[in-house]
Amino acid sequence: MVNPVLLIAVPLGLAFMVPLIDSASRKLTRFVPVAALMFNLILCIRLIPAVLENPIVINLGGFTPPFGINLFVGPLGLLFAGLISLAGLVVSIYSLSYIKNGPVVKYHMLYMLLLTGATGVVLTGDLFNLFVFFEILCISSYALVAYHGDRAGIESSIKYLIQGTVGSGLLLIGIGFIYGIFGTLNMADIAMKIATVEQSTLFVPMILMVAGLGVESAIFPLNAWLPDAHSSAPSSISAILSGIAIEVGLYAVARIVFTVFGISDIYLFFAFLGILTLLIGEMCAFAQSNIKRMLAYSSIGQIGLILFALALATNNTVTGGLFQLVNHTISKGLLFLSAGYMIYRSGSMEISSLNGMGKRMPLTSLAFTVGAFSLVGLPPFAGFPGKFLIVSGALLKGQMVINILVGLVLLSTVIEGTYFFRVIQALYFKDGNGERKRAPATAVTAMITLMILIVALGVYPKFLADFLSSASSDLLDKMSYVGSVLK
Amino acid sequence: MRSVFSLILLVVIGAGVVFTLSSIPFGSTSSDVGEYYIDSGRADTGATNIVTSVVVGYRAFDTLGEVTVLFVAAIGLGAILAAGRENEEKKKAEWEPASLVLYTGCRFLFPLILLFGAYVFIHGHLTPGGGFQGGAIIASAFLMVYLGCRKKRISKTWARNTESISGLVFVVTGLTGLAVGGHYFLSNFLPEGTLNTLFSAGIIPIIYIAIGLKVGSELTGVIDDLIEESE
Repeated sequence: MVNPVLLIAVPLGLAFMVPLIDSASRKLTRFVPVAALMFNLILCIRLIPAVLENPIVINLGGFTPPFGINLFVGPLGLLFAGLISLAGLVVSIYSLSYIKNGPVVKYHMLYMLLLTGATGVVLTGDLFNLFVFFEILCISSYALVAYHGDRAGIESSIKYLIQGTVGSGLLLIGIGFIYGIFGTLNMADIAMKIATVEQSTLFVPMILMVAGLGVESAIFPLNAWLPDAHSSAPSSISAILSGIAIEVGLYAVARIVFTVFGISDIYLFFAFLGILTLLIGEMCAFAQSNIKRMLAYSSIGQIGLILFALALATNNTVTGGLFQLVNHTISKGLLFLSAGYMIYRSGSMEISSLNGMGKRMPLTSLAFTVGAFSLVGLPPFAGFPGKFLIVSGALLKGQMVINILVGLVLLSTVIEGTYFFRVIQALYFKDGNGERKRAPATAVTAMITLMILIVALGVYPKFLADFLSSASSDLLDKMSYVGSVLK
Repeated sequence: MRSVFSLILLVVIGAGVVFTLSSIPFGSTSSDVGEYYIDSGRADTGATNIVTSVVVGYRAFDTLGEVTVLFVAAIGLGAILAAGRENEEKKKAEWEPASLVLYTGCRFLFPLILLFGAYVFIHGHLTPGGGFQGGAIIASAFLMVYLGCRKKRISKTWARNTESISGLVFVVTGLTGLAVGGHYFLSNFLPEGTLNTLFSAGIIPIIYIAIGLKVGSELTGVIDDLIEESE
C-alpha cells in the first residue's frame, strides 16, 4: 500500500527543490506544481478502496499516539486531499500561461506550499500539527494575495494578514488551554477525555478555537477581509482561495466541533450562523458591480450554506453539504478562471465591461455560464444534487425552526440566481465592442476539464454521493474515530 | 457608544479567560504525555536533551512544518518586495563608510559568531539550543556585517541553494526512514550510539544541522531583502 504521508512530503520536497530546478532549467520551473499535484491526485485515487474499507492511521516517526503525531486518512480527509489535488492541478495548468510577470519562481513555490499546508490540515490527527499546517496555508495566501505588488493588492493583503494573524493567535491560545486541561494534543485522545471535565471549562477554549479558524473559513462576522483579498489576488489564486482555503478552514471547524468537542447543544447555533452568513453573503454579492467582488461575496454565501448543512448533523444533510462543497470548489474555480481571462481581455473588473463577451470569447463565456448555473443549483449540473440533499435532509428533521431556515436558504438561492443571470445577460444579450480573441490553450484545457466534471457530477451524482456518505459518517461518528487512532 | 461596547466585550472575554485559566492545572505533573517524554525520551531517541527528543524526535513532523512556516514567510516577503520593486524604480542612496574600528571589529567577530552558531546546532541533542537557535545566531553574524561593514553582501544564489538543499535533506531523511527504518516517515534508521557523545541520537543531529543551515540562510536572506529595500 502507498503511504499517505507522501501526499505532504512529496510536494514539500519539490517546493524546496524549485530554486535548484530553476537554476538548472528556467523552462521547467512552472511545470513542477503540475507534476506534484498530478502525483497527489493519482495517489488519492489509488487510496480510495483502502480508505473506504478502513481509515488509515499513520504514526509519524514510529511513535504511537498520543506520544507521537499521527495522520488520520479517513474518507473525509481523503475527499479533501483529493479535491485539493484536483483543483490545484487544474489551476496550476491554467497558471502555466496566466502567470507571466513578477517573481514567477516564488509564485510557484508559494502555490505548492499553500496546497501542502491545506493537505496537512485535512490529514493530521494532532491539534498542534493542525495549527502548524494552518499557518503554512495562511502565510502563503497572504503573500499570494499581494502577488501583483499593486496598491490594492498590498492593502488587502495587509488587512488579511492582520485579521488572519489575530485568528491564528486565538487558535493557538485555545490549543494552549486544551493542552493545559488534558495534557495531550492528540485529537482522538482529547475526544476520548472530553467527557471527564466540566463543560463550562471547555466553553472558552472552544470559542477561541472556532473564532480563530472562523477567520480563515469566512464565517460571519469574521469575514471582512475576504472580498478585498479574493478580488485583488490574481484570478488563479482567487480560485484556490475561494475553492480550497476557506473550505479547509471549514473542515477544521467541523473536525474540532464534531470530533474533538462533540457538544451537540451548540449545533443549532452554528446552523443560525450559517444562515446569517449565507444571507449576508448573497445580499452583498447582489449589490456588487465588480465581478470578482461579486464572486467573492458569493463564496461567503456558499460557505454559510455548507456550514448550515453540516450543523444539522444528519447523514443526509452532511452528505449534501459535502456535495455542495465539492460543487463549490469546482464551480467557483471555473467562475474565477473564466472571469480571469475576460478581465484580462476587457481590462476592467466591472460587470458592464463584459457586455457582449459571449461573441468575443464564446468558450470562456460558456464556462462562466456553466459555473454560474451549477452554483445556483440548476438540474443537469453538479449544484443540484447538493442543494436537493441539503433541503430534503433538513425538512426530514421536521422542526419548525429548521423549516423556516430552509425557507431562507431557498430565498437566498433566488437572490443568487438573480445576480448570476444579470452577468449572463450582459455576456450574451448586450452589445459590446472589442476584438474576438480566444483564451490560451492551457486555460481552455483547465476550463473544459472543470466543465466536464460539473456535468458528469450532475448527471451521475450517485458515484460521488456514495463516497460522501461514508465521509459524512467519518465526520459524525466520533467513537470510531477515537477507536481507530487509539487502538 | 462604540468604545463602551468594546469595553464590555473585553470585560466579558477577560472574565471568561480568567475563569478558564483558574480551573486549568497548568504546571502540575498530571500530564501522561509529559511524564512519558521525561521517562523514556532518552531511551526512545538517544538524545540527552529532552527538549530535543520532543522537538526532533516525537514531534519531528511539527518541526518540519515549522521550518516550512519560516520558509513560506521568507519567500512571501521576497515575493512582495520583488513585486513592489517592479512597480516603482528607486534611486540608490549613498552609503557613508563605517569607521575603521567598527569595520575591523565586525570582521574579527564574524567567524567567532558563526562558530558559536554552528556549535549550538551541532550539539542540539546534547546541550540547550538547537537548529532554530543556532540558525538565528548565524543570521545575527551576517546582520552585524551588514550593519558594520556596510558594503559587504552575501551571494543570493549561495543562500538560496543552501536553503533548498538543507530543506531537501530534512525531507529526504524522513523519506529514507519511510523506506528503510521501520516503515515510518521520519523514523530513526541510524544507530543511536552512546548517550552524551557527539555521534549519538541517530538522525537528530543530521536534522538539526539541516535546520541550522536552513534557518541561518533564510534569516540572512530576509535581512538581505529588507536592507536592499531600505537602500
